[in-house]
Amino acid sequence: MTDAQEFETFMRNYQGMVFSTAMRLLANQAEAEDVAQDVFLKAYERFSELRQSKTVGGWLKTVATNMSLNHLSRYRSRWSFFSDLWGKGREEDDDAQIEFPASNDVEADVAQSERRELVEQALRTMPAAQRVPLVLFHLEGLQYDEIAAKLGVSLGKVKTDIFRGRETLRRKLRLKLGDADLIDAV
Amino acid sequence: MNENENSQLEAAVDHELKALPNLRAPQTLLPRVMAVIEQRALLPWYRRAWQTWPRALQVVSMLILLVAFAGLCFGSWQLVHASAVTSAASEASGWFRMLSRTLSTLGVLVNALALVVRSLGPLVLFGIMAALLLGYFACVGFGTLYVRLAFARR
Repeated sequence: MTDAQEFETFMRNYQGMVFSTAMRLLANQAEAEDVAQDVFLKAYERFSELRQSKTVGGWLKTVATNMSLNHLSRYRSRWSFFSDLWGKGREEDDDAQIEFPASNDVEADVAQSERRELVEQALRTMPAAQRVPLVLFHLEGLQYDEIAAKLGVSLGKVKTDIFRGRETLRRKLRLKLGDADLIDAV
Repeated sequence: MNENENSQLEAAVDHELKALPNLRAPQTLLPRVMAVIEQRALLPWYRRAWQTWPRALQVVSMLILLVAFAGLCFGSWQLVHASAVTSAASEASGWFRMLSRTLSTLGVLVNALALVVRSLGPLVLFGIMAALLLGYFACVGFGTLYVRLAFARR
């Protein structure tokens, strides 16, 4: 098997994970694809080391996270002020755009795959200021102080943004607290 | 929201997010990456990243860089001790004299401006500041409006 063929197999194994990491941070398919492409090109340059490494998955995830954050800070910081103003008014509108059945036991009725699509959609429509720290905390497993250092913001802001992000998800997904059955049924 | 509800919400959100499977990568990703790799492979070695150069060329390029750096250091040391440097230094001092004259002229201008500001009185100054603030907030307001219009969902 040639290097190129071996790399193709390697890419097939990891492209979903790399793309998901970028997509959940950037919430934009085209930008996530660009970042995923850069991650794999970087991986190709070090393929001789990576092909034998047991921690290649972690390496790819870290590089995808860092590149996505760089992308956000490079291309979107100039708009963050306006997008934050814009985002505040938009949060309320987004609930209406996701179609939930009217029933109270909505979680029990919706199939699992549809439910996951709703979560993905909720993440995509959430303001970046909430989505990014939320994803870093729950999906990438970073601690509050690590997130603050990565994003260059205060610890207090990270905690507030994550709290707001959870609240947004709760509202969008109609999560009910204190009802173990509902949470387990998800 | 109390502490208990807060931790329940954290657990529920954690459960929701961790249950998400990986997304399917776009079908265009793999061909895009392979095309770039093929394109790069066609480039001559000197247009590729240094890490991908053949080992011998890496060593040679590193030696050339080291020699160039040593030459630069040696040349600078020779220059500092050369007699021509003294005359160059006196010429440079002429430039510095001109710079100090420019600075003193600027100082006079700043003092004159301060006198004008003092003679205007506080009301006029407050008026100017208010106009500047108004302009600033007008820019923010119009900027927000334009962003909302530009990104409005259709």
